[in-house]
Amino acid sequence: MTWHIKPLCHVISPQLSSLQIVVSSSSSQLLSLAAPSRKLPHFPAMAIRRLLNLSGSRSHSAAVTAATSSPPPPPPSSSSSSSSSSTTMIYDRAADTVKSKLKRLETPDSRFLRYTSPHPILADHSAILSSPETRVTTLPNGLRVATESRLPGRAAAVGVWIDSGSRFESDATNGVAHFLERMVFKGTEKRPARVLVEEIGSMGGHLSACTSREHTAYCAEVMDENVPKALDLLSDMLQHSCFREDQMEHERDLILQQIKEAEGPSKEIIFDHLHATAFQYTPLGRTVLGPAKNIKTIHKSHIKDYISAHCAAHRMVISAAGAVKHEDIVEQVKKTFTKLSANPSVTSQLVAEKPAVFTGSEVRIIDDDLPLAQFAVAFKGASWTDPDSIALMIIKLMLGSWNKNAGGGKHMGSQLVQRVAINEIAECMTAFNTNYKDAGLFGVYAVAKPDCLDDLAYAIMLEISKLPYLVSEEDVTRARNQLKSSLLLHINGLSHVVEDIGRQLLTYGRRIPLAELFARIDAVDANTVKRVANRFIFDRDIAIAALGPIQGLPDYNWFRRRTYLLRY
Amino acid sequence: MYRTAASRVRALKGHAGSRALTRFASSSAVATSSSSSGGLFSWLIGDKSKTLPPLDFPLPNVALPPALPDYVEPSKVKITTLSNGVKIASETSANPAASIGLYVDCGSIYETPISFGATHLLERMAFKSTINRSHLRVIREVEAIGGNVTASASREQMGYTFDALKTYVPEMVELLIDSVRNPAFLDWEVSEQLEKVKAEIGEVSNNPQGLLLEALHSAGYSGALANPLLAPESAINRLDSTILEEFVALNYTAPRMVLAASGVEHEELLSVAEPLLSDLPSVPCPEEPKSVYVGGDYRCQADSGKTHFALAFEVPGGWHKEKEAMTLTVLQMLMGGGGSFSAGGPGKGMYSRLYLRVLNTYPQIQAFSAFNSIYNNTGLFGIQATTGSDFVSKAIDIAAKELVAVATPGQVDQVQLDRAKQSTKTAVLMNLESRMVASEDIGRQILTYGERKSVDHFLKAVDEVTLKDIASIAQKLLSSPLTMASYGDVIFVPSYENVSSKFQSK
Repeated sequence: MTWHIKPLCHVISPQLSSLQIVVSSSSSQLLSLAAPSRKLPHFPAMAIRRLLNLSGSRSHSAAVTAATSSPPPPPPSSSSSSSSSSTTMIYDRAADTVKSKLKRLETPDSRFLRYTSPHPILADHSAILSSPETRVTTLPNGLRVATESRLPGRAAAVGVWIDSGSRFESDATNGVAHFLERMVFKGTEKRPARVLVEEIGSMGGHLSACTSREHTAYCAEVMDENVPKALDLLSDMLQHSCFREDQMEHERDLILQQIKEAEGPSKEIIFDHLHATAFQYTPLGRTVLGPAKNIKTIHKSHIKDYISAHCAAHRMVISAAGAVKHEDIVEQVKKTFTKLSANPSVTSQLVAEKPAVFTGSEVRIIDDDLPLAQFAVAFKGASWTDPDSIALMIIKLMLGSWNKNAGGGKHMGSQLVQRVAINEIAECMTAFNTNYKDAGLFGVYAVAKPDCLDDLAYAIMLEISKLPYLVSEEDVTRARNQLKSSLLLHINGLSHVVEDIGRQLLTYGRRIPLAELFARIDAVDANTVKRVANRFIFDRDIAIAALGPIQGLPDYNWFRRRTYLLRY
Repeated sequence: MYRTAASRVRALKGHAGSRALTRFASSSAVATSSSSSGGLFSWLIGDKSKTLPPLDFPLPNVALPPALPDYVEPSKVKITTLSNGVKIASETSANPAASIGLYVDCGSIYETPISFGATHLLERMAFKSTINRSHLRVIREVEAIGGNVTASASREQMGYTFDALKTYVPEMVELLIDSVRNPAFLDWEVSEQLEKVKAEIGEVSNNPQGLLLEALHSAGYSGALANPLLAPESAINRLDSTILEEFVALNYTAPRMVLAASGVEHEELLSVAEPLLSDLPSVPCPEEPKSVYVGGDYRCQADSGKTHFALAFEVPGGWHKEKEAMTLTVLQMLMGGGGSFSAGGPGKGMYSRLYLRVLNTYPQIQAFSAFNSIYNNTGLFGIQATTGSDFVSKAIDIAAKELVAVATPGQVDQVQLDRAKQSTKTAVLMNLESRMVASEDIGRQILTYGERKSVDHFLKAVDEVTLKDIASIAQKLLSSPLTMASYGDVIFVPSYENVSSKFQSK
């Protein structure tokens, strides 16, 4: 920079006297270029000062600021017309207001800049890594009970997590796991639906359930004195649901309605299509809701078969958090969860029998009536326990996520986000990383106007393909800090604690201590990112799902070609 | 804004682990990854990256900190008032994350005809350039620690919050205070946000519920509460940085600010925040602008086969009459309601009166629920609904019948009330488990009451609600003039007099 400026100054200095007379806009531009440089030793100080006053440019050096802050002495030789024009013309006045405003920015108050830095650094988190103990007891039938007590509070959450979901269905019964989830709330042998609902109501509790491809969860949030009741209710629902015919018909209609509603253009539908094509002819390719023709034919016996095959004690975790005591929960679970299926099949066997196979492929649904196109590009990602899954999470954060209304805008750290935001080529875009037992999906999802698709595809693929080669340590550190924060910030409230316990026990077989998790994150550096990107991205097959006015989206081979860079 | 967590949740939902196979799979992964080179570049310069054991095996050589005891004494909220009137409040928690919020007693009620829309724009201008740091720097600083910043504007309060790991408390406080105290309101940033506000107004028809709530205020009140919370179209052309600066200078004064934190030691917070806040000029608080409830009617025809409508009444007193505010909250839980198509399980108010009596009976009604919005000195309570356009007049009849029913002694039984009370209590306790809600609660309570009342205090107030209270507050509601608002296909909506008479003929 400095040697660049110096010749510039030499050019200026011979004209110094003339400059003082004719204040041209070009000279002020030259000077504003020169101003940031503090090395102009051979210049007469006074001349610089006056020139800077004339140029009125925003200066950065402290010495110059002192000069500008004093009222600018009217240049003796400047003509009267030029000085009066700087206030009479409306745009000059506008410029003056802007300048006076900008002048306020010249002297930042150091009080407000003591601690923060825009450059990510690794902080020592050891002081915050202790957490309440997670106690795990495995009962003789294999059922695991895990609790985290936080006694001073009065709220509690209890959940049942089952290591089974739509992936363990067959083509003919796809949808049964979700059907079961809906039917569980529809009454048991002891409690008809109405009683069930009222009982939860009178506890003031909140009961929720979710089914996904690999697991099913039921969770109740209640006050401390109602924990035994809630657990009793959960055990009754899971073991003694009666599946009455009329209730099944009612739910069948609702699920069919839900399937119909889910057909609209949404993020969910894109991800369903993405799974369907990436894991075609394998269990992960099926949807959770199931096809409408299955829903119409699902019978009570299908649900019962599914329960006895997959809702076995050793594939379940009861987790509790908040105002609960481990011993009490274990005692009660021993007494109430006695009728669980004892089917010996192990999840890992089932997965090994029907593994998820990733196929490079695409699905495109052209619908030119929709205003926006959406698509997802995915690579085969890591499984849950893969040691590289942490690095993939970091890569996901490095690619970032952005939408039009986000305050971060074009200033965010991710290169991809900057490209997308500055060129305004998308409505929203987000990187994703989903893990399963033996595979994963990793990639980018975006929504865009039809005429931006090729630019957007280029930006996404360029940034992805750079990952095996060009990774800056600063970006990795930022993503590491973000990952640490997001993992902990996500656990906000007891239902999240219960979810975290249940999920980790099912996926990792243990709850990973925070200190270990942070150590694993810290072990990822730029080289690890490059190696992992090389493993998952470099010249790997991809799966694409796209929906909407997607005529402008490049073809599959274009994408596939951009999974690697050729460097000669 | 920086909610990376949200997308992660999605990624984490749904899976489970099979031990034997995953171990097999991951050990094979280890084998492949150790044989794969770290890219050509790192191969050239000879860097190696190490591979760790799979996640289901503990990592060796990690020093695990001692576990926290199950019982961590809950801390009292400590409040310090600086000499210029700024209040700093905090409570500690065992959570590794902290949430800090700066709350200002300033909202759309303080707007004047010149500054209409200022709060909405201020919400959008939050965390932009300050006179000490550029917008770029603000964003990079937040990203560098992986935090979340959010701003929210309401009719009576503005809130700016920062959520991040406890390690970063000084950074959070510094950035938060700088953003609120020293905004630069650069012209190009203001005009950029004005464009976004304009787009937001254009999309408001996607949210008929919000639009109706807005309409209820503008029609029902005369005075400050009638001020629009969503900037009106006409304001967009008028608003500029000068108006914002004046509005902030006038309203963001020391006695009207509260810095509230959940999960932070009071001394630590004070040592960082005090030097940054203590030089704010101490200006006496202006009187809160008055609003008078008058009732009224709002209709907006829009293209949609459906009709959305809301009926509302005033409850005088607001938060300052705590007993009534709590009764109203219980009443809302009691009436409940929701959408006719609920994918979730029970516990989402499916045992509530409106659910059992209305949604389960009339399939023509798509959504039907009770709502309240309570302010410092007044509040609105009513029913919001969505139905097909030909069913509107029947639906309004039903809504009127339901409101009259809760006002009639003997129509609500003790079981229903107990259930509603229990749900209210659980909801309060569950929400307070979230640190964001906790810090917001501290901030807003201090702005409203000047102190933080304990949870037990509110639980007790809920417990004390009786059937008589419910009936009497409902009667009081219905004695105020009706405010109604409708949106969508409104031709079949009966006239104001017609609807209003349904409540008087009782």
